[in-house]
Amino acid sequence: MDSLYKMIEYGIYSAAILLILVGLYGALTKKSLIKIVIGLSIVDAGIHLLLVSIGYLKGGTAPIFSPGYEDKADIMVDPIPQALVLTAIVIGFAVTAVALSLVIRLYRHHDTLQIDDIKNLKW
Amino acid sequence: MVGTPVLFIAIPLLAAFLIPLLGMIWKELVRIIPGLVLAYMLVLSVSLLSYVLENGPIVEVLSGWAPPIGINLVFSAFSGFLVTLMSFLGLIIWIYSYRFKRNVDFEPSKKYFILLLMMITGSIGIVLTGDIFNLFVFIEIVGISGYALAAFYMGRNSAEASFKYLFMGSLASAFLLLAIMIIYSQLGTLNMADIASKVHLMDPTYKVVAIIFFMAAIGIEAEIFPLNGWAPDVYTEAPGPVGAAFSGIVVKAAVYAAVRMVYTLFDVSGTYDFLLIMGLITLIVAETTALRQDKLKRMLAFSSIGQMGLVLIAFGIGTLEGVFAALFLMLNHAITKSLLFLSGSYLVFNSKDKYIKEVNGLGKFMPITSFLFALGAFAIVGLPPFAGFWSKLSVLTAAADSNLILIIALILIVSVIEIVYYFRVVNRIYFFKKGESVIPQRPTAHALLAMITLGAIILIIGFYPDSITGILHKASADLMDKTKYINDVLSAK
Repeated sequence: MDSLYKMIEYGIYSAAILLILVGLYGALTKKSLIKIVIGLSIVDAGIHLLLVSIGYLKGGTAPIFSPGYEDKADIMVDPIPQALVLTAIVIGFAVTAVALSLVIRLYRHHDTLQIDDIKNLKW
Repeated sequence: MVGTPVLFIAIPLLAAFLIPLLGMIWKELVRIIPGLVLAYMLVLSVSLLSYVLENGPIVEVLSGWAPPIGINLVFSAFSGFLVTLMSFLGLIIWIYSYRFKRNVDFEPSKKYFILLLMMITGSIGIVLTGDIFNLFVFIEIVGISGYALAAFYMGRNSAEASFKYLFMGSLASAFLLLAIMIIYSQLGTLNMADIASKVHLMDPTYKVVAIIFFMAAIGIEAEIFPLNGWAPDVYTEAPGPVGAAFSGIVVKAAVYAAVRMVYTLFDVSGTYDFLLIMGLITLIVAETTALRQDKLKRMLAFSSIGQMGLVLIAFGIGTLEGVFAALFLMLNHAITKSLLFLSGSYLVFNSKDKYIKEVNGLGKFMPITSFLFALGAFAIVGLPPFAGFWSKLSVLTAAADSNLILIIALILIVSVIEIVYYFRVVNRIYFFKKGESVIPQRPTAHALLAMITLGAIILIIGFYPDSITGILHKASADLMDKTKYINDVLSAK
């Protein structure tokens, strides 16, 4: 049972890191603006998953002092990573919204979503 | 006492969200309210700073959760000095842009002032907060309002510049979150003072990984080479006062975060040298790139990056004199570069592409603006008797005290490059014939007031540097004293 739990734990960690890497790959190599925004969102999702999973406790319960759980603080999962992730999700949502509105603006000006065709500014 | 540090965050945020509602009552309130808020913040920061210089730092505990559990704000000599500087620049930028363009109507000015207030709030929050997750939230507030301000003119290039900034900024926030996560998983705390007191317990590998992620994230916001690709584009495409706000307020806050991390949070050896080397590379690359720019604002942007490199060098020296020099440089750069952006954006006001050659001969047609631009240019390259001379001198003496002769040589060589490209512009303003198609623009009275105030401060600091060095000495001693910071925060109730 313990080894199964360890496997699941490593599985979640590797899934989260895989998500971050997939997102970075998409954001850095894709040529379409929409795909870049999707890549950035995937990076965010991976980090959120990683953050929640480090706060998990084996056999843990929700961090709420409900009836029957008044003195069970030691088996409750850490609530701080969850609060952080909640905040980070909201911020990620706002950034994605701004990014998409900028993509719309760029599309109206350039009639394309390919970053190779949008290069008025350079060093 | 007229208030507590939390008002620096609460009042401008409240005002920013109330502006649209107040604008429905009377349209002029949209322009007046930000000024009142910023003036109040300046008064508050000056009175708190004079209190702090006498009696030691104020640590404010939010909603009754004492550190290390809750969030706390630290108004010490160092952070208080930066908050005062930011509030002052915010007020100057408000005066300048009160009637920025006569043709700007109600709707854009509403958005402009909301976003500007949010950006100043975020920057002040970065400086005041004592909690790394809170730091992340404030960096995102600065980021999102910064993306919107960069795209303010709705042109094709400004959307492109803003998207670049957004791309880099999202990666920065991802890295920052990873760094925070690594620290939290190792130490189980988010409070900066608590982290600083426990950081020796951290696994060295994790510590190095965390500091790398942190540096990558802050480096993007603080314009450290090679992560500053967004900066020249944003400075070029954003409105002039926004460029001043970026170089004077936002970048200062990001440098604060980097410095707080190196000096207080982590105890890894070699971080000072890292700052020194990155600062040197940033300085050299940015100044040589500035030399070959043909657009005025782009040149100023590269110069701004170079100056931040100089600030990092001074912080990287790591001695008390080095920190003093860095703070002096930050003050002078904030004031001088704001003056250059504000006057420079009037020099190229009516030109479409903002080329440097379009300022030819404007000295006769826009005497005051041109004079102030020249004053700013002389001050930033470090000519005596202007303010920049003293800060550059203090960097050089700090480097000499630490036997960094190579650094002194490089700073002096780069200063020559700086002189070349600034004097080229001043030469064009005064000694070239004006182009036929160039239309000079008369600055508004508000803009003149703002620019003349900045020019006067440059001269005052230049002639009486002692008027400011007392505060700077106390602020730099405050930054160097890590144990006092930890004790002050952790004993707060």
